[in-house]
Amino acid sequence: MTDQIREQLSALLDGELPKDEMGLLVRRLEKDAALRRAFGSYALIGETLRAPGGRIATTGFAARVSAAIDDTAGVTPVAQPGLAAGAEAQWSPGQESAAAAMNPAAAAGAQRVPLWQRPMVRTALAASAAAAAVLLFRPDAAPVVADLGPPPAASDAMTNASPTPAQSQRLASYMVVHSQYSTPLVRRNVLSSLLAADPGITRVSYEMGEAP
Amino acid sequence: MQAMPNFPPPDESMKSREPGDDDAGLPAGTEQSDLELVRRAQRNERGAFDLLVLKYQHKVVKLVARLLRDPTEAEDVAQEAFVKAYRALGSFRGDSAFYTWLYRIAVNTARNSIASRQRRPLDYEADLSESEQNNVAARLKHDDTPEASVLSEEIRVTVNHAIEQLPEDLRTAIVLREVEGLSYEEIADAMDCPVGTVRSRIFRAREAIDRALQPLLD
Amino acid sequence: MTRAAFVLAACLAAFSAHAADDSAKDARSWLERMSEALATRNYDGLFTHATGRQVETMRIVHRVEKGKAFERLVSLDGSGREIVRTRDEVHAYLPDRRVVLVEPRGDEGSLLKALPTPGPKLDKYYDLSVSKGSRLLGREVAVIDVRPRDIYRYGYRLWLDQETAMPLQTIVADGEGNPVEHIRFTQLQVKDKIPARDIEPSVDATGFQWIRTGRKLAAMPQLPTNGGWRPLRVPPGFRLVASRLQSIPGSPMPAQHLIFSDGIAAISIFIEPGAPSGPRPPETSSMGSANAYSTSVKGHVITAIGEVPAATVREIANSVAPVQDVPPPAANGQPGGPAR
Repeated sequence: MTDQIREQLSALLDGELPKDEMGLLVRRLEKDAALRRAFGSYALIGETLRAPGGRIATTGFAARVSAAIDDTAGVTPVAQPGLAAGAEAQWSPGQESAAAAMNPAAAAGAQRVPLWQRPMVRTALAASAAAAAVLLFRPDAAPVVADLGPPPAASDAMTNASPTPAQSQRLASYMVVHSQYSTPLVRRNVLSSLLAADPGITRVSYEMGEAP
Repeated sequence: MQAMPNFPPPDESMKSREPGDDDAGLPAGTEQSDLELVRRAQRNERGAFDLLVLKYQHKVVKLVARLLRDPTEAEDVAQEAFVKAYRALGSFRGDSAFYTWLYRIAVNTARNSIASRQRRPLDYEADLSESEQNNVAARLKHDDTPEASVLSEEIRVTVNHAIEQLPEDLRTAIVLREVEGLSYEEIADAMDCPVGTVRSRIFRAREAIDRALQPLLD
Repeated sequence: MTRAAFVLAACLAAFSAHAADDSAKDARSWLERMSEALATRNYDGLFTHATGRQVETMRIVHRVEKGKAFERLVSLDGSGREIVRTRDEVHAYLPDRRVVLVEPRGDEGSLLKALPTPGPKLDKYYDLSVSKGSRLLGREVAVIDVRPRDIYRYGYRLWLDQETAMPLQTIVADGEGNPVEHIRFTQLQVKDKIPARDIEPSVDATGFQWIRTGRKLAAMPQLPTNGGWRPLRVPPGFRLVASRLQSIPGSPMPAQHLIFSDGIAAISIFIEPGAPSGPRPPETSSMGSANAYSTSVKGHVITAIGEVPAATVREIANSVAPVQDVPPPAANGQPGGPAR
């Protein structure tokens, strides 16, 4: 049985493994260090035959790469449409749900490799937060507040309005102002975000009747 | 490497290559397979990316070692290149071969690393403390290690010796594949046997060589 | 359990609690060192900035002269956007819109004085720890974890260079550890001197529209206890740290600007009197780890923006209300006061 699997690995290295056999093999490889080692060795053999001499990767290199990727647990390969015939787009903007909008990482089909093994928050709130349900802050000890009047009612149900240039600009300038008051820890992130994104590009509008 | 029966005497491809040739030594015909692995990796099948790392780790390390002033940094920098490639996978569209794309990333990573490392010892910071200065000097002394060259020579010798020990049909199959870059079908044609047999022969050849290599690499 | 075993167990428990305390204290001092390095060192580096949607390469140049920091941040891909902090102003060049946003610099006073000191109070809202990490850019690093204790704020994992405490890599994650943003230096030089010309913008801004979003208005050190607007609900640990007026181009009335912070993240709330044309739709914007939410309350446009999850800014903005109290003195022309 193992021989059969290793023969598949050998064929994969040569590009001669049928695509439908790849999935299972990849999953096996994720769990089996001996298989990984074997594949690496086959690759080394070919390298040595074609281009002997020069430095090679030492044992454990691939594992170190994997660990470094885990360390960063970072951002996420997202499939692009058109990579290969038949590749479907992973997501399209029109299908974003409100929940997805709350978590941009989720919207982009992000790899959920959390930084921390156990989430610090284990309450039902954590689960519902993803659905942007009601958050329960401790109310501040606030002075008497004027009657707010009825919540913003459904007088205008708003649809996805794209931001006007003026609105985008206002947001950009708010970001610039705000960045001056960010702590040093985060300020560069904020400014980088301003440079990278067009504030307003990921907009989702809520119906005005939606209660907070 | 000895000449093999029924085949022309070894040509240039069998001799030791100059650095700079190794990017030409690409296993033929695996582009589609690589693309499929990339696609899977983009769908968060980490094993698929691991396979690509395993497949190209030596090429990348070798390439980077050539470019760096200090080859002992090659693995660090190669590691960085792979991590970069992983994070940039979303932008790989398949209009070039995966290795071509990876190659460019590796070269850029090596270049950036030279730029940033060169400056540390050379930009003589006025306020380097004495111990910092000593560290810098110590770093400069480390040239390429003889261990690295010895190991790759040992590997070469071991692989060649193991190949010579192989039964002829296995030896032929693996050389045709790895050195001549023929597809299984072409090899089946050349050896007048079914494709399945080619696949099995190449596999068994690899297994045998791997057994010989393992003690070296553990 | 025998008495001896009990005592031993208690000691071990105390030890590990103590060790955890030490780790938090250690982490705090790393964060301090880091803030100091970011503020006071001269450096020039390239980094990548990645969110779920895209990866961009940027360059940052930071120069300190006579206790004043100058900085230039420029996108090397696509947008070509650039932000420059000059002596008195912040210029944000947006070539894609042919616009330069100009904002007066906040009064920072002495560089070091302006830095928040991560105090022990931070422990209430974040779990801090330090560990050793794999090398980055060939450097030894310490890895600092800032884990939020609730879902209202983000967490951070920072890879700090052992020698300089510069953050070589930062990941921002939500309360469950899901990464949201990733910043990583691919090249970094920490130098003795940086030439002034490296801070000059590279964008050719000929023909751009210069928009001054903030005239120099007197900043109010305290929110007056009467009048103005306040959020009724803020996440635990966020305190009001500043209150000021922000002028809006084309409008005679300034907006009120409140800044809340828990020591790590900051949230700004802008209250603009009089919506420009009719009620504004509530909307969320996400820019990496910065989120913004705008809504309309009693004819005012409320915008909350900060380095916190989108749901948090939404909650805060929706809770902003006018404070009904003794009308404020009219002299400083501030908006707000009794609800209209």
